[in-house]
Amino acid sequence: MPSHPLRVAVVCSSNQNRSMEAHSILSKRGFEVRSFGTGSHVKLPGPAPDKPNVYDFKTTYIQMYNDLVRKDKELYTQNGILHMLDRNKRIKSKPERFQNCKDKFDLVITCEERVYDQVLEDLNSREQETLQPVHVINVDIQDNHEEATLGAFLICELCQCIQHTEDMEDEMDELIQEFEEKSNRPFLHTVCFY
Amino acid sequence: MEFTSDEEGSQLTPNVVDMTTSERVVDLLNQAALIPTDEKLTVLKQVQELIINKDPSLLDNFLDELIAFQTDKSIEVRKFVIGFIEEACKRDNELLLRLVANLNMLLKDDSVNVVKKAILTLTQLYKVSLQWLVRSKSVSERQESCWDLVTQMKGDVLALLESENDGVRTHAIKYTESLIITLSPRTSDSDVPKRQESDTSLDKVPRDHSYIRYDVLCEEGKTALEKLLKFMVHPAITSINLTTTLGSLATIARQRPMFMSEVVQAYETLHANLPPTLAKSQVSSVRKNLKLHLVAVLKHPCSLEFQGQIGTLLLDLGMPQSEITRSTPAPREQRKRPRHEEYTEGKKVKMEPALNEDDEDKEEPAPLSVPKPAAVPVAQTAIDLTAEFLHPLLSPENVANLVLISMVYLPDVMPASFQATYTPVESAGTDAQIKHLARLMATQMSAAGIGPGLEQCKAREDDAVKSEGNDEDTAAKDPFIKRKVPAVMLGQAISVVGGYEKEKTPPPEVPVVVKRLPEPILPTGQTKMAGPGGRKKVFRLSDVIQPLSDAEIEKLTSKAVRRILHSEKSIAQSGMSHVRVKLLSKLVTQFKGMMKEDVLQFILDDIRTRSDLAFALLYQEYNTYLSHLPTGELDSYDHCLYTLLSGLQEKPEQRDGLFTKLVLEAPIITESALDVIRRYCEDESRVYLGMTTLKELIVKRPSRQFQYLHVLLDLSSHEKEKVRTTALAFLKRMYEKDHLRDYIEKFALNYMQLLVHPNPPSLLFGADKDTEVASPWTEETVRQCLFLYLSLLPLNHRLVHELASVYTEAIADIKRSVLRAIEQPIRGMGMNSPELLLLVENCPKGAETLVTRCLHILTDKVPPSPELVERVRDLYHKRVPDVRFLIPVINGLEKNEVIQALPKLIKLNPIVVKEVFNRLLGTQHSEGSSSVSPLTPGDLLIALHNIDSTKCDMKSIIKATNLCFGEKNVYTSEVLAVVMQQLMEQSPLPILLMRTVIQSLTMYPRLGGFVMNILSRLIVKQVWKYPKVWEGFVKCCQRTKPQSYSVLLQLPPAQLTSVFERCPEMREPLLQHVLSFTPHQQAHIPVSIMSVLEVHKQPEPKPVEPVVEKEMEPVPAPVEEEAPTVTLERSETPEQQQPAVTKDDEEPMEQEEPAPVIQEETVDTVSQEELTRAEETQSPQPEPVEEPMEDSQPEPSDLQEPVKDVEADVTEPEVTEPEAGSGSEDVE
Repeated sequence: MPSHPLRVAVVCSSNQNRSMEAHSILSKRGFEVRSFGTGSHVKLPGPAPDKPNVYDFKTTYIQMYNDLVRKDKELYTQNGILHMLDRNKRIKSKPERFQNCKDKFDLVITCEERVYDQVLEDLNSREQETLQPVHVINVDIQDNHEEATLGAFLICELCQCIQHTEDMEDEMDELIQEFEEKSNRPFLHTVCFY
Repeated sequence: MEFTSDEEGSQLTPNVVDMTTSERVVDLLNQAALIPTDEKLTVLKQVQELIINKDPSLLDNFLDELIAFQTDKSIEVRKFVIGFIEEACKRDNELLLRLVANLNMLLKDDSVNVVKKAILTLTQLYKVSLQWLVRSKSVSERQESCWDLVTQMKGDVLALLESENDGVRTHAIKYTESLIITLSPRTSDSDVPKRQESDTSLDKVPRDHSYIRYDVLCEEGKTALEKLLKFMVHPAITSINLTTTLGSLATIARQRPMFMSEVVQAYETLHANLPPTLAKSQVSSVRKNLKLHLVAVLKHPCSLEFQGQIGTLLLDLGMPQSEITRSTPAPREQRKRPRHEEYTEGKKVKMEPALNEDDEDKEEPAPLSVPKPAAVPVAQTAIDLTAEFLHPLLSPENVANLVLISMVYLPDVMPASFQATYTPVESAGTDAQIKHLARLMATQMSAAGIGPGLEQCKAREDDAVKSEGNDEDTAAKDPFIKRKVPAVMLGQAISVVGGYEKEKTPPPEVPVVVKRLPEPILPTGQTKMAGPGGRKKVFRLSDVIQPLSDAEIEKLTSKAVRRILHSEKSIAQSGMSHVRVKLLSKLVTQFKGMMKEDVLQFILDDIRTRSDLAFALLYQEYNTYLSHLPTGELDSYDHCLYTLLSGLQEKPEQRDGLFTKLVLEAPIITESALDVIRRYCEDESRVYLGMTTLKELIVKRPSRQFQYLHVLLDLSSHEKEKVRTTALAFLKRMYEKDHLRDYIEKFALNYMQLLVHPNPPSLLFGADKDTEVASPWTEETVRQCLFLYLSLLPLNHRLVHELASVYTEAIADIKRSVLRAIEQPIRGMGMNSPELLLLVENCPKGAETLVTRCLHILTDKVPPSPELVERVRDLYHKRVPDVRFLIPVINGLEKNEVIQALPKLIKLNPIVVKEVFNRLLGTQHSEGSSSVSPLTPGDLLIALHNIDSTKCDMKSIIKATNLCFGEKNVYTSEVLAVVMQQLMEQSPLPILLMRTVIQSLTMYPRLGGFVMNILSRLIVKQVWKYPKVWEGFVKCCQRTKPQSYSVLLQLPPAQLTSVFERCPEMREPLLQHVLSFTPHQQAHIPVSIMSVLEVHKQPEPKPVEPVVEKEMEPVPAPVEEEAPTVTLERSETPEQQQPAVTKDDEEPMEQEEPAPVIQEETVDTVSQEELTRAEETQSPQPEPVEEPMEDSQPEPSDLQEPVKDVEADVTEPEVTEPEAGSGSEDVE
């Protein structure tokens, strides 16, 4: 087992659905976890596919909630957005952008390839200092409630397995292979350095 | 450890504010030695903060103390020490001298995490130490050796590229990256991260440094790069290592553009030869990384010459051309880029062939606008050359042939890497594509070591080596010269710019002296390494050994073991306790003998802290046993377990559950171990823990659970109460488990069955007590047989029948004990228990007393339930007509049933009768007697009066009524009035009517008026026709004078005469009374009456006299009556002391009519006495109601006797009186 608790970050695009679902589950299982988005804005579904609700990362979940209630309470209740925001605001006050966070992690889990690319780009553009490694793993999760829940459990299982490895770095490769086989989906995995 | 425990208290408490920083540090360090890892880290971090940042002057003082933690057990603490070394050395470079060696030790730590941290720190410290040395004006010997060690460590880390651990390799890669950057000069086109701006690099190293050799370092840097490149093309490289290396190469290329060519070429090679071991998703990860890093390199201004290659690669990796263009820097800027100076100066070209190419590449091409490899560099790489060679050969025909030939070699399954990387060739046949193909093939060929390019390169290299060799010769003497110079030349060295040409070409380091490397700071007690020479000595084992004698071997062995045994603390400090434990357990099991005793004793001396050794030993013993199966013997294991358990058992105050732990974790519980457990359970202070353990055994070791259960069952009849009750409590819980139930039940019944023996079996006394078998049953032994059974009874009511059958067979003594013992369980079962009802219904012959006892217990506190009443009624009517059955349920019976039973009931033992009455009158229990008696108190008294005297003797009835009168609270004047009223209205009048009237009057004198009324009405009913009642009537009148005068006057003359005959003294007062009337009133008095009144005093009404005389004289009764009454009185005299009132009345009576009064009084006194006696007999006994029952009715045969006894004692005087009365009646 690693000598200190795993510091985990879960990252999706808007830090609303997938990363927050995983955040919720991981923190319930006792992980030291944080969640982020990599997008330039926070986007939530709107009345039509081409009319999303766009917020910046400074907007709190409560503000978004109130805004959507005001706009169309029924629609957003029905599509689960309000419920999601309600859950989110109980976890933290507002979404966070990965690129703006200078804290260090042992493990960053991304929820789609695009986000993975953005995380890698960001981590590689940072100046190296301590050379401490950070593993980045991408788990593709479709951006809807059901998949988010399933994905969160998969992430949680993955984190638990990693937490229980004798030597995380040495066993990571094999572990991820096993998980690929088990979950039948490919995981991207790389290592970056702080 | 111990000395600190004393200090701890005082060290933790002192006022923190007053402490100096130094004291505070001491305090923290002391704390750190004793506390768990988490807190230790916090404390150590505080120390670090204090001595590095707050007061660096202390750093030196406490260095050793802090470094001592490098041997700590905890990985985190060791990692902390590494971090501390880094911080300390950065703060004070001089400390490198002392700390580098420690870092070296930690670099070889067992834990990979520590090694990784050490690598990271070395990455930093390498730069720091280089900078420090470079800055030093003069380099001391110690500094030199320090640098040597750093260099050695550098080599060690590079070697770790071949480590078995993926993570360690990753760290080694990053170290190599940093090393390459440090050991190469920073140039103006270097992309330098802001943070690393102050970092040292090769360009900061003066070429004339007294000790650091610029060129050597430069070589080292290049070697490192080669190593890294070689590492990357390893076919079995892991995906993580590969991506790490890709990233490192990109960093190197950007920070040291001079290496860009190698990097790009390496990327190219890799792209064409992805390791076959990668899985599909790993291939995508790697390609993604490759793309990312290529873009990063492409963005660098120096990428100009490689834009073609990079562009092609990126296209292959699936990047759109537009994006590639976007990432390509504008070539304009390139034009002006300044050249790096010293590095490419003059003659360097000759001696550094690898760099040569780079330099030429950068210098010559000036590629204008064509960003393609077509801009052929002057000196080409092997791949370039081969590609050029291949290009013209790739005609469509040749290519087609190549494809056809290679078809044969295609694998059956498409490799993952191919599948991932394959993109359709868009521009097939174009010149650009052919060139690309040529290049791809060239890459493969070079990798395989063939092709014209490679040969040419080799030839060139050979040339270069030759020239280098020449250089070496020329510089051969230099080091020696240089070494001696510095002291003198130092001042000038800098100014001698031209002089560097000579120094530029030093020979490869020829070590002159084996210098002493810095030694780590070690915790005291460890010997330092011998001098440098010591290491070289060749050691041959055979030279120094000789055989030992057996005795010596034994002695040494046991001494060795003892040393291991007693080095507990020091080993614990070094974190190797587990090894010691393992070693000891193995040794001891293997060698046995005295050693084993020693170790066991040692464990028992402080078993708390040595429990791990205990367990290890035990398991080892068991393991040995297993390995010798099937012939193996458990003796050794048994002995070990037994000794440990007894040791624990004999130790007082062992509260930490170690005993339990040992028992539960022992692989096998042997017989002797079970005995110890039993002993443990018998210890009153530990009984609970012991039995909990036993219970766990029963539950968790099913294979032998009955054996363990038996121990617990045995304990359930233990003589110590606490042991017993605890065992019973545990058994009760276990009884609920189905698989144990039968066994427990059988045991309980078997034990109870012992009661049928005439004498207690020896089994009951335990093996240790040598009691004679013939000893009689005692209360104690009987209970012993019943404990378990009785505690199970409330859980399983069916068992009650077993008790009944045993009971019938048992002897009287046992029966008594049983009856005493069953109260609690029977009450627990409750009267609704179907089994209990069944028992009542069946009531086996001989178990009547048992059933009665049960009934009493059940109804003692609560009214009987209808079901119970029904069963009892059945039993009574159909099978055993013993009225005593009815008593417990009497309040559940119908009114007429009670009345029917009354005659029988009141004939019982007075105490029992009293109880019956208590029940009926509700006076038995103060609390919660919600039972409603079927009879009201009035009903009861009336019923008593109406008892047929043929069914019951008058004496018993009188006693019963007296019991009623005894309850003054119940029989109030109102109740009595109603009773009298009702009795009076009956016809014929009850015999005891007047007795009751008189008694009521005595109790409540204010009933006088009411009684007068009764008397008057009795006259109407011609009371004189009932002799007994009439007698009472007269008596009553006598007692109620003068109130009764008016009543007397209502009597017919004949009856009045009869009154006077009985009480002559009444006449005169009555006469006076009449005479005091007004004449008018007197006129109402009939003459006949008056004549009766005046009969003696006034002779006038003589005519009447004879009539009266006649009437009176023929009655000889008074005379005859006198005799018995007198005798009576005599016999009563002993009883007559108390009532003074009686005497007053009696003396004037002149013995004429004493009988009723005396009778009453004596009845009163008797009843009182009876009560007090009853109380006396009851008071010493705890169970007033039940005890007498038991005593008197242990067996059916005993039933009658006690009643007689009681009568003989208590009722003697009373007996005679009514008989006398009735006797006189007969006479009349």
